[in-house]
Amino acid sequence: MSFRKRNIGLSTGGDRTASVNASAGLQQATSPAAAAAAPESTPGVRPSPDDGRPTTSTGTPSLDNILAGHGGLPIGKTLLVEENGTTDFAGALLRYYAAEGVVQDHRVHVVGMPEQWGRSLPGLIGPADAVDDKQDKRKGERMKIAWRYERLGEFGAGIAGSRATSGDQSQPTADGSPDKRPAFCHAFDLTKRLTHPSITNLNYIPLTPSNEPLFTTIHKRLDAAIASSPPNTVHRIVIPSLLNPTIYPFESSQPDSVLPFLHSLRALLNTPGVRATAMITIPLSLFPRASGLVRWMELISDGVIELCPFPHSADALATSGAATSHEEPPQGMLKTHRLPVLHERGGGSDQNVGQDWAFTLSRRRFEIKPFSLPPAEGDKEGQDGAVSGNMPKKADLEF
Amino acid sequence: MPTQPPLPPLLAPYVSSLPPSSLIVLSTVLGAQGNWLTLRYLYAALNALSTSDAALSFGEGHNGKKQKVVLVSFLRGWEFWRAEAKRLGLDLARLTDKRQFAFVDGLSELFAGPRTTPTPTTPTTTNTTTTQTTPPSLAPSPRGGPVPQRTVLPNRSAPGPIPARGPQPARGPAVAAPAPLAPVAPSAPPAAPASREVGPVKRLHLSGKGPAALDRLEKDIAAVVGHLNGRATASAEEEDDSEVLLVLDQPDLLLAATGPGKEIGATEMTEWVMGLQQYVHATVMTLAADLPLIHNASAAGHQMPTPLETEHAAFAIGSAHRAHLVMQLRDLDTGAARDVSGVLRVSKGGAWGQSDNTDANGNWEEKEALYFVQRDGGVSVFRRGE
Repeated sequence: MSFRKRNIGLSTGGDRTASVNASAGLQQATSPAAAAAAPESTPGVRPSPDDGRPTTSTGTPSLDNILAGHGGLPIGKTLLVEENGTTDFAGALLRYYAAEGVVQDHRVHVVGMPEQWGRSLPGLIGPADAVDDKQDKRKGERMKIAWRYERLGEFGAGIAGSRATSGDQSQPTADGSPDKRPAFCHAFDLTKRLTHPSITNLNYIPLTPSNEPLFTTIHKRLDAAIASSPPNTVHRIVIPSLLNPTIYPFESSQPDSVLPFLHSLRALLNTPGVRATAMITIPLSLFPRASGLVRWMELISDGVIELCPFPHSADALATSGAATSHEEPPQGMLKTHRLPVLHERGGGSDQNVGQDWAFTLSRRRFEIKPFSLPPAEGDKEGQDGAVSGNMPKKADLEF
Repeated sequence: MPTQPPLPPLLAPYVSSLPPSSLIVLSTVLGAQGNWLTLRYLYAALNALSTSDAALSFGEGHNGKKQKVVLVSFLRGWEFWRAEAKRLGLDLARLTDKRQFAFVDGLSELFAGPRTTPTPTTPTTTNTTTTQTTPPSLAPSPRGGPVPQRTVLPNRSAPGPIPARGPQPARGPAVAAPAPLAPVAPSAPPAAPASREVGPVKRLHLSGKGPAALDRLEKDIAAVVGHLNGRATASAEEEDDSEVLLVLDQPDLLLAATGPGKEIGATEMTEWVMGLQQYVHATVMTLAADLPLIHNASAAGHQMPTPLETEHAAFAIGSAHRAHLVMQLRDLDTGAARDVSGVLRVSKGGAWGQSDNTDANGNWEEKEALYFVQRDGGVSVFRRGE
């Protein structure tokens, strides 16, 4: 952990960044031209702590954290979310992603879904770090944690987590004054419906049959929508359940149809001046990873994560998989096959690479955390024995 | 962590002084991308030259000959290569100006055609950055130089619509002087007036069907190679002492994304690559060699292989047989590690030892090593256990 990148002093650092942001906000208010020129001031976009490239949040804090140290999805990158089985966890991730875009006034383009989809976006609770109940719990236990470890964040919380905590360290002293920093990521409630003034700005791209190939039409409409919007707009392209035969016609799953589309989408996102990200989900049960087509779709995408929900019969395992009793049991495994930027460069040096991840979807959040198996439950007596008296004595250990 | 030399010593013999008319196949997988290795090839070719004359002599393969590079990339844009090469200390834009390097963009318009230019709907803001409404005399310079209307400091506005410093147009022999370091250019070549952003790199566009479409691509690339060789402008003796290295970054995308519907198969692709090899000194080609793309085609599979899989396997395996050297990158077999990015295996290709340049072949021996790409872009290559 380097202190240089955090840019935060020991005690007053949080205030300093807040004031800087406040002055930035002032500038924004006074001269809109200057604000438009400074991309860092766009809501929902912040420079990556790793290399400073602009990133935007996926709407899921823990997903932001595993994206190779960037604390979000870098602008211009696509994320392919694959899901096994018949569940719709990936759909939840997409809804968070779209809802985050709505809240941040990004332009959200939804491909192949009716407007109903947009009306079912999860309701806003507030900025993610403020809502985090773990935060409250931690405040209660503050004295127990050595101060210098506290700002490192919760174990496994990653970069965004540690930044969030170091930021709100200064908050209690400010005592109730509203946080001036614009929130990067928000928390949403899946049981509520999002009501936000800009939700009507969702751009739906229906799959209407025409004499042109389907994907050509989609690409043209996306391109036109992005080209006609004012510069500096941040776009989010949401493509739920790509190639799903209930939505897409049969011939669209031919390689010469879908691969050129993904390639042009990649080209579109890489166009200088375009600030957009895309998130795509694909049902793996219909299009297995072992097929060449899906592998090429992965090769064209910048990031690939795979969700493997536990089968329902594995509930017993799932409950025992919780590290402690008050945590929710994981509902599946998450595999990262490719991370944006990192693998493009050659990959491998991220601290999170090779971790086993488990995910939990609850009403309020989609949480990804390291997966760890608890001690085997049948081994009670062995554990008890170890604790009670069978520990080797000091004399036994000396040679 | 100590900074690594740009060319790891274990790697150096394989990336520099390539024998004439050789083909080197770089096979990669999803988790082990080969861009870093591609960049090492660029570095070995371009840097040996820029340190000039006798300072660095990587082998005697190119005895005083200039090396030039044409990079054709189908999956990655100019921005990516420029930024990554900068981390290595290569200024690709400057090298483009000096006509030692040319980039051919196979990403932007390969399938989509030219981007529909946005009609500036609202002239609200005063910063008319790079829209094409600016008169051609003010056409944004390739340097991102001082455009008068802008009130922004020019250094920290990178992600905005400021044009990337792009190479000069390479539209065949019509282009005159290689555009020296003239920043704001009222005398900019008016060859490409309507292009939206400035770096008008040569952009490939696939149209039509079958070998004819590939032939057009070949002609485009050959034009760039010819331009780099100075056939159009320079005298004949300059033509002779330069060697062009052609780097094809994932041309297999063409194969995957076209398929039998467009009448492009492994045979056509192989012929296409062979055709391109005629124009250049040596060729480096990266291919995807993921398990489903290679092994599904074999009969052992439990289901019928799709045309995509059979054609890809045929192309990849056929290329390996024609190659002098095959560099395979793959994930670590034992799972991901924090200090190892992957495994590099160097093996002989089918055309091993067929060239006359025996000493280069003498430097090459088959080996397997581990590599690690650091955060700063440095790469270390080491044997197991070192």
